[in-house]
Amino acid sequence: MLDPNNLNFEKLGFQAGIEVHHQIKSKRKLFCHCPLILEDDPENMDYSFYRYFRPVLGEMGDFDPGMLVEFEKGYKVIYYACEHNTCTYEMDETPPFSPDPEAIMKGYILAAYFNCTAFAEELVVNRKQYLDGSITTGFQRTFISGRDGWVPLANDRKVRISNVYIEEDAARRVNWTDTASRTVYFNLDRLGFPLTEIITDHLDINTPEDLLEVAKQIGRVLRLSGIGRRGSGSARQDVNISISGGDRVEIKGVQDLKLFDKFCRHEVVRQHALIEIKDEMHKRGIKKEDFQHTYIDISHLFEFGEKKVFATVFPNMKGLFGVEVQPNKDFGLDIFDKSMLISGIHRENQFHSDELEANAVRKRSKYPSSFNINDEKYQQICSILKPKSNDVFIITAGPERKAIHALKKIVERVKMALDGVPQETRRLLPDGNTEFLRVIHGKERIYPDTDTPPIVISLEKINEYKKMVGKRPWEVFDDLNSKYNFTQNKVDLLIRDEQLKRFYSLTENRGINGHLAYRLLINIPREWRRKGLEVSNELLEKIGNAISEKILIAQQINNVLNKTAENPEKSFEEILDEIKSVKHSDEEIEEFILSFLSKYNLESLKIDEINQKIAVTKITGFVLEKSNYSREGKYIAEKVIDLIKRGSINEPKQRS
Amino acid sequence: MSQNNDPEGYRGELRERLIRENIRTWSKVKVKKDNATYEGLLLPRSVHTDDDYITLKVDTGYNLGILVNDATIIEEIGYQKGNYKLPHIDVEFKEELPNVTLLGTGGTVASRLDYRTGAVIPAFTPEELFSAVPELSSIVNLTPKTLYEILSENFRPDYWVKTAESIAKEIESGADGVIIGHGTDTMCVTGAALAYFLRNLPVPVVLVGSQRSSDRPSSDGARNILYSAQLAGYENFAEVVINMHGGTSDSYNLIHRATRCRKMHSSRRDTFRTLSDIPLGKIDDEGVTWFKKDVKPRTPVEDFQLDVKIDDRVGILYFYPGQNPDMLDSMVDMGYHGVVFIGTGLGHVGTDVYPALERCQEEEIPVVMVVEPLTGFIQLRVYETGRDMLARGVIEGGNMLPSAAYTKLIWVLGHTRDINEVERLMQTPVAGEITYRETVRGFMHLQGIEHGIDEILKNL
Repeated sequence: MLDPNNLNFEKLGFQAGIEVHHQIKSKRKLFCHCPLILEDDPENMDYSFYRYFRPVLGEMGDFDPGMLVEFEKGYKVIYYACEHNTCTYEMDETPPFSPDPEAIMKGYILAAYFNCTAFAEELVVNRKQYLDGSITTGFQRTFISGRDGWVPLANDRKVRISNVYIEEDAARRVNWTDTASRTVYFNLDRLGFPLTEIITDHLDINTPEDLLEVAKQIGRVLRLSGIGRRGSGSARQDVNISISGGDRVEIKGVQDLKLFDKFCRHEVVRQHALIEIKDEMHKRGIKKEDFQHTYIDISHLFEFGEKKVFATVFPNMKGLFGVEVQPNKDFGLDIFDKSMLISGIHRENQFHSDELEANAVRKRSKYPSSFNINDEKYQQICSILKPKSNDVFIITAGPERKAIHALKKIVERVKMALDGVPQETRRLLPDGNTEFLRVIHGKERIYPDTDTPPIVISLEKINEYKKMVGKRPWEVFDDLNSKYNFTQNKVDLLIRDEQLKRFYSLTENRGINGHLAYRLLINIPREWRRKGLEVSNELLEKIGNAISEKILIAQQINNVLNKTAENPEKSFEEILDEIKSVKHSDEEIEEFILSFLSKYNLESLKIDEINQKIAVTKITGFVLEKSNYSREGKYIAEKVIDLIKRGSINEPKQRS
Repeated sequence: MSQNNDPEGYRGELRERLIRENIRTWSKVKVKKDNATYEGLLLPRSVHTDDDYITLKVDTGYNLGILVNDATIIEEIGYQKGNYKLPHIDVEFKEELPNVTLLGTGGTVASRLDYRTGAVIPAFTPEELFSAVPELSSIVNLTPKTLYEILSENFRPDYWVKTAESIAKEIESGADGVIIGHGTDTMCVTGAALAYFLRNLPVPVVLVGSQRSSDRPSSDGARNILYSAQLAGYENFAEVVINMHGGTSDSYNLIHRATRCRKMHSSRRDTFRTLSDIPLGKIDDEGVTWFKKDVKPRTPVEDFQLDVKIDDRVGILYFYPGQNPDMLDSMVDMGYHGVVFIGTGLGHVGTDVYPALERCQEEEIPVVMVVEPLTGFIQLRVYETGRDMLARGVIEGGNMLPSAAYTKLIWVLGHTRDINEVERLMQTPVAGEITYRETVRGFMHLQGIEHGIDEILKNL
């Protein structure tokens, strides 16, 4: 296995694309009038019901292979639903209502944000089949708003946005504890949320860093435009990865951008290993027909009660199932993930004889097999299977039908190994590894929705939407970077905290310096938030206005906030008056100055001009702070110079 | 699609332009407009859509529409015609399995999808049906036959006759049961008519369809047909029944007597309900549970009679406050032979209608009254109004549902127009369309505030 931490992506021919799924802010679901409310506890329900799904024949009288695999899983799908956020539409008991105009509009605005040139001038709702139960109809309603856009990357590069879609979000999988279980659970609360899917051209990204940056650019647009819904789970990414000689593998449902680098590396390593296994199989002269669907009952060798044990021999495969394809995961286990998901036989109940080698990877994997096969048992098995020295056998245990089903899937998968990397959709695990989820769905399994007539979006409307696009995030960055030398991180915070508009208003309309505006809108509220206090936008605006009108100076901001926190009942104006009213008298100021000045050698200050300047600035600062900025700095500085000149220091008076 | 129809579905100027520029449906085209470029297959255009747009299927499989104006350049860069050929599947006849015929009338329990156009094609050849629902072939020897391919609202009384004749033919050829694939909208009407036509029915006749379209992976169609095959092939009963989902889950189906059954929701799977009574039984993966004791068992084929004499000059009037009696008058004028009248409450109509009722009486046109509340009996002796109506010759329709009364009157009038005989026949139950008793469970219109409705029904 390649070292995941030391990869030459260019040499490996790494290519990636990303699909960003982000919920859209709106008042209702896309195809019904239910409100967008998620249950705090996804297992909340007022009622539940269950369904089975089956694929629909294609025009040629056959099934999509991807759909057939889904059907093979034989899931019973149980839905949890609450009355306040779910109606008979989500239950697939009522045809769709007209799609939400707000979500449609936002879909077109987003397409304009991403510089799309080709808009869907007539919106056609399509159906995209899913049999995993995540959508009660068995298909997702989805449509294109725009195509052929782009987002920029550093060094004047562009990543093409091939499509911007609007679609209904799927139901939430809940209670997902046992991947082998044939019963799956979903909460219907999320089903139907308007969602956008933004897809990049998978040829344009060649490193994990660029992938991450593209994801961020897309995220910035959703945030900056105010179109993206916030909150946990509102954004999910699917990433397509391939290397030279490999094939497109989709890694689904990535919520945490921090994992990007890791899983990219783990997938590259996996594809590379699968290619090596393929090459080795060809080198050994292995053919697909070498693998027979012969399942031998060896239950009598084990004491598993009701459970049956079946075995199949894989000629010439010695050592290959034991190849590490991802950290702490061998090829055998990678296959067992799939046979488990489809047949329902836990991977722990699936075993390959490469595991018997010393230091076998399987033993340190997350899912070592539960078989205890000692020498004696091995000999017993061999006496029945009669494997040659270069053969491997695989064993599965469980109810007869399922155990055979698992072996059948394993034989099919091993045959596919001769073709290298199979196109799959895979689930990301916290350790950066992935496991089989489903065969990649054919794009031809998309067909128009007969329930919703096409909707004309007039050119006037599209132009109107284009005009609603403000500065794009990369334009904002260029602007603020050139004006104030702001970093991307700084700009990101303005976008994330939704303060950009206010920032521009303060700097452009109110004449406040960019750095001060940034401190007011970002640093200060964040400092206060860390202390557990929220600073309202309303207050920030009032402070901004007061500064702009020179009623308040920057240094008094914290004072205002302190007083507001202490006296929440007081109005901003009252607090301002209070601060203004604490005027320190000339005597008091003198007292403050003298108390600081006492630390200096006055005589030398008198003659040393440079030192004097430094001291004056420093002392003025201290006194300003001590006096709550109630007097002007200029007055204090002059007073300091004056006192130095006078050269006499009286002991500061004790104040009573 | 015919060649001269190409480009299919396009109209007006755009059509002329496409023809002029040699662009056909299934042309692969490049469309340029300002700085936008679209590439995809030109799809047929569906009816009732805007004239100036073309529909493209783009590389992702999605469809979208583009406005074609003077600034638009369309260029054909290829052509990709669909090739429709179904794979051949041998369906094996198994000696040990019962023989069931599926007569299709247009309701689809399984479909093929044309992913390119989005068209839904009923899966109806044995090959298609067994491909779509492979489990069927291990339950029964199913022979699908197409009678009609119509939407159920386009049924007419002579279609019921032809359907009944086809059923009779199947029964006489030894079918152990017959399934009728039917659109759900008027399934109960057809069902009621068949129940009258098929006298001494020897085998089960099961009407079935899909309430959620068969082009969706969540369709109820597959389970409905599987349960129907089970019922028609194995169960010991011989009535015309409707077999559809009992709840929203894929949990159990209810078996309804066609004459007592009504569609009660426009779209839900469990739309069919037996009114004024409980269903005959339920079927789930464990088998059949019969709730009613009066289910008619299978009988010898020798006793079977087909009686399809009908008179379709029958109409239904729905009384409402303010109804102008000219509606009933015009039925007399138009030469109707019988009227089913849906009256308020216990079966009343306003006094304004009396003169028109008198005309019907004079002309010996039977007016059969049924109740607007759908459940419960007609009773024209309680109030003065009712007695006035009886005096004007109105025939009480018991607790017949409107669909059952309508089909029955058509059937009865096919046999006699003697008003007394019509009255006698209309008031004599022949297929469970009138019950003499209604027990407490005949009115189970749960209102959604009861806990576990589904459980109650499931565990009846």
